[in-house]
Amino acid sequence: MKFFVLAYKNLKRRKSRSFLTIGGVAVAVAVLVCLLGFNAGYQEALTSDVDKMGYQVLVTAKGCPYEAATRVLKGEAGLKFIDEDIYKQIISDPDIDKITPLLVQLVYDPEKSDGKGGFDSYSGIERSYMELKPNVKLKSGEWFSSDDANEVILGYDKAESIQKKLQKTVGDKISIPGEDTNLVIVGIFEKTASLEDGDFFLPLKTAQRIFEIEGKLTSIGIKLKQIDRLQAFEERLYPIASIQVISMSQVKGTILNLVNSAKILIMSVAFIAIFVAIIGVINTILMSVFERTQEIGIMKAIGASKLDIFKLIWIETLIICTLGGIFGSIIAIFGGNLVELLVRKVMPYAPGGKLLLVTPELLLFSFFGVIIIGIISGLYPAFRAASMRPIEVIRSGE
Amino acid sequence: MKDFAIRANKLKKIYSSEFEKIVALKEIDVEIKEGEFVTIMGPSGAGKTTFLNLVGCLDKPTSGRLDILGCNPIELNEGKLSRIRVDKIGFVFEDFFLISSLNSLENVQLPLIFARNFKNNTNPETLLKRVGLDHRLTHFPNELSGGELQRVAVARALVNNPQILLADEPTGNLDTKNAQGLFDLFRELNREEGLTIVVATHNVRLGHSTDRIIHLNDGKIEQDERLVK
Repeated sequence: MKFFVLAYKNLKRRKSRSFLTIGGVAVAVAVLVCLLGFNAGYQEALTSDVDKMGYQVLVTAKGCPYEAATRVLKGEAGLKFIDEDIYKQIISDPDIDKITPLLVQLVYDPEKSDGKGGFDSYSGIERSYMELKPNVKLKSGEWFSSDDANEVILGYDKAESIQKKLQKTVGDKISIPGEDTNLVIVGIFEKTASLEDGDFFLPLKTAQRIFEIEGKLTSIGIKLKQIDRLQAFEERLYPIASIQVISMSQVKGTILNLVNSAKILIMSVAFIAIFVAIIGVINTILMSVFERTQEIGIMKAIGASKLDIFKLIWIETLIICTLGGIFGSIIAIFGGNLVELLVRKVMPYAPGGKLLLVTPELLLFSFFGVIIIGIISGLYPAFRAASMRPIEVIRSGE
Repeated sequence: MKDFAIRANKLKKIYSSEFEKIVALKEIDVEIKEGEFVTIMGPSGAGKTTFLNLVGCLDKPTSGRLDILGCNPIELNEGKLSRIRVDKIGFVFEDFFLISSLNSLENVQLPLIFARNFKNNTNPETLLKRVGLDHRLTHFPNELSGGELQRVAVARALVNNPQILLADEPTGNLDTKNAQGLFDLFRELNREEGLTIVVATHNVRLGHSTDRIIHLNDGKIEQDERLVK
């Protein structure tokens, strides 16, 4: 028999208490893993979202750049309209590699979300859109037959929901809520794992006609030949008073900054969870030390040294924390999806892809973190137990 | 001539509390030779347990000299005292004091965890067989009778091959038959192994089966009676 077996048997004796303490540690570890995983995941998902946009630069009407940026990432394009003439004006700029005009409109659909209602995004695009977005490909069907055809291409998720709800697919007609025009579904895009998967895509001219905003755009997506030419490019556009140039790396930075402040709050919640777990562990071990005063006295009487008792109580704490760490990691791995669902519901902007990135490194970090916490929280109870005098117990006989 | 296992000179122990001072041992002189089987007798409060605790290195005297197998526990620190307890002394208590979550075999193995000297051990199973409990190895304390519990406790006290066995009222919770059986076992260990045994008891009849009875009363030795066999 070894110290470990002795410690394990002690914990087994008070199953429910040990179990609850392990549960407390597990929850703290799971919270920590999820939050740190979210930290990493959000950043990666946002970067991937921004990269998938294909644009390095976006030209929109003047307004709050942060709001515009968020709307752009949400697939809503700009706030206000810019004249199509501006597009024609800058298309010949020598620094531009690829350029595409965009008109995005939101239409209220009272039937959306099982009758609760909600907005659908309709994007008016041109062929150049496909060139700027290398991951946007047609899964089935084909490109619009003409520049102003009453046709629509569906994003992957939108196609699935229409197929499910209306049993309509390529070749069928659908209507825009509140508009008279019917649109023929001519194609479906492949999954891009971005928010555009839920959009309707129309030829630019058709969109301008249907929404009665001819000659207007919401934004212009641009890829420069060299990104370091951005400043010179921006300076050339400066004289056009009604527009602003947003670089997507700036957008990313801005959103990450906003998220960072929320992160501080989230991390403090994680630390509170860990603190509560530490108190729980100390309480459990201390209680069991006090309950076992006699036993500890006996062990000392039959030869256990202070160090032996210290070791024994310390191992008990470590077992609790190790098991808590293991269960917490399992909860984090399997419960992470639930957290992701929750985060998506409450976040004003959540990028596509996986928000919660639970990596083996993160699990190891949290696991060893909890072991260190165990080592620290075991110190006091172990010290208390080691300081007990055997005589207090033995003397009761006289 | 045999060496002394225990030698006490003007041994005094005072328990002090906030309200009173209790003089448990009043400068007693005792010498117990190696291989002796000694009974400490006396009424409650006479100082029997105090004497055993001092000899067992569980407590330190207030004054006087004490020599346990050549060591002076008064001068030793806590770590060294626990070393003496685990290597040289076996303790048996009135209330058995077994660990309830461990079975008989594990209870006997317990001191081995704390022992640094692994060469000097007796096989726990052999010991349990010797005390007649080879059929109770995996039984837990709540599944054993009083007599069996005390025999497990004796096996535990012997597992590190101690030179001195101290027993404080070991028959207090046993019936006459089990009490006699325990003393027979002590006698056997004393004769065959040369183990020095010091037992505190109220039982006069059992006391008379040992080599010597030290009568303690009110912290003083009233009579030191050597029994002729």
